[in-house]
Amino acid sequence: MKKLEAIGALRARRLFLRRIGGAATVAGAAAAAGTAGLVRKVAAKSESAAAEKSFPTPDYDWTKRKWAFGVDATKCIGCLRCVEACKTENAVPLTAHHFRTWVERYVYLEGEDRPRIDSQADPVNIAASGSEREYRFANRYKDAKVEKAFFVPKLCNQCEHPPCVQVCPVGATYKAKDGVVLIDHDYCIGCRYCVQACPYGARFFNEEQGVTDKCTWCYHRITKGLQPACVDACPVGARVFGDRNDKQSPISLFIRNNRVHVLKPETGNVPNVFYVGIDKEVS
Amino acid sequence: MPKHIVRLILLLAGGLALGLAAKWYFTAGSFYEFGHYRADSVAQIAAHQPVFQTPAYCQGCHSERHAQWSAANHKTVVCEVCHGPGEGHPQKGKLPIPGDTRRLCTLCHERMAERPPTQPQIDPARHFPDQQCAACHNPHAPKLAGVVAEVTGDAGAGRRKHAESCASCHGAGGISPNDTWPNLAGQNAAYLVRILGAYKSGAQTDVMMSPVAQTLSDADIQNLAAYYAGLSCKAPASEKAAAGDAGAGKALAKNCAACHGETGVGANPAWPNIAGQKAVYLANTLKAFRAGLRKDPMMGGVVRGLSDADIANLAAYYAAQSCGAGAKPGKTS
Repeated sequence: MKKLEAIGALRARRLFLRRIGGAATVAGAAAAAGTAGLVRKVAAKSESAAAEKSFPTPDYDWTKRKWAFGVDATKCIGCLRCVEACKTENAVPLTAHHFRTWVERYVYLEGEDRPRIDSQADPVNIAASGSEREYRFANRYKDAKVEKAFFVPKLCNQCEHPPCVQVCPVGATYKAKDGVVLIDHDYCIGCRYCVQACPYGARFFNEEQGVTDKCTWCYHRITKGLQPACVDACPVGARVFGDRNDKQSPISLFIRNNRVHVLKPETGNVPNVFYVGIDKEVS
Repeated sequence: MPKHIVRLILLLAGGLALGLAAKWYFTAGSFYEFGHYRADSVAQIAAHQPVFQTPAYCQGCHSERHAQWSAANHKTVVCEVCHGPGEGHPQKGKLPIPGDTRRLCTLCHERMAERPPTQPQIDPARHFPDQQCAACHNPHAPKLAGVVAEVTGDAGAGRRKHAESCASCHGAGGISPNDTWPNLAGQNAAYLVRILGAYKSGAQTDVMMSPVAQTLSDADIQNLAAYYAGLSCKAPASEKAAAGDAGAGKALAKNCAACHGETGVGANPAWPNIAGQKAVYLANTLKAFRAGLRKDPMMGGVVRGLSDADIANLAAYYAAQSCGAGAKPGKTS
């Protein structure tokens, strides 16, 4: 009897496995059919999109561009007009803690082996400008023995492999097809993981709106054929912007004709802001 | 199949269906269109309106100012850097004209070791500390005509040329007999070279001067300048009383002093001395600058706000100064 029961159980198990197998096959076929359908649907959709209109606006196709930015630190005069223009253009809070772009000053004094570094947000510079809403570098090294000194404009590097996008838990930040890392302010939950993840300190938290914000290379301007506001405002041409797909664009020429450097290459983020004339201490 | 297994499967399937339904319900329509984000947000961000316009936007109405700016060395400083963003202008109102140019201009031009040496820089404590920058520099074309022409002419040859071509209007000794024509005696040679060259090239025009200057060779201009610079500028007192109030003119002259000196004897020989000059000539010249008949990037800006009375007062003040007597102010860095 025991043997018979055992055979019966084995049969039942075999039957069960067979049924599961059958169900899996059916489900697999259905899934395959579904995927094929989906692929067809997506293909049809992108075809029709290409035929009808470009994305994200009728006049701008983000698959045709590969934006990049250049900074020539040897030209920067530290006038901070870029910072002012950026704050106005992008409605950045007018405090000393919120900047989409900023300028750092590196000063090597005689007899010192490390540079002194400050930015427009330094209290001494705020005192020189008179308020946090205005920007001016104080002439604080006027009477010092300066061996070497220069300004370095900074902004979001729009990395090829952005760590800020990797850590976002809700898909509120992403890399657009034209290379710009954008933030969906409707989806951002304000957790600030991305602020922590950025090795360049390019992101800040906008307490007024409860969302993270950062430089977008003025995405609303570049998609309309304009330059970013900081590039327009720079009086000395220290900021260069353009499309790397166009071999004659200002940025392509900038990268080709200069020995360029990126910040923190060891992180593997592959930044898209290229620098000329910065020192090893700049990172 | 045992019932408890069936129940378990049903429970799992129900949970899965509920989860998928919730995901479908809570995921925005365009979320997976291109990746793990909402495709609609790209269009939303791209739809923001630019705040800063471009110089092309300003050019529509301010074409004259735009032409002057785009031809001069501030052409890399776009309109909105100094005047603020053009969004909503002119509908919402005027854009500011910066008042404190000393503070504005030093943002870029204060001497700092951190700035590249190619950037023009001044020491604000030594470069006319009490003057606004716009008093001398036209912000749209800031470079002064301050390059001093070299004068190597021969005064003797200049005197012969003077007798031949110029004396009938500008007087035998360079002191003009007519109030509407300028005295030339004692004038800065470098200024004379520059201004005669401008008449000759057509950069400056005058019904009487242009044809005369066109007949002059470069050597003639050099010789004439050397000759006039060496003459005594002492002119007989004009019998006609000046139309303006010299006292009021003195107050206004503060705005001219940085270039032309407080008493009309300037710091830079590229600019004219105006002390003891004919009042009528001075007034006419200022009005010509104001009307744009005579072109100079700096003077055009300086005289813009002057009334006819201001001009008369200034002319009376400078005409009453004694020329060439005072020590020339030292050249500032």
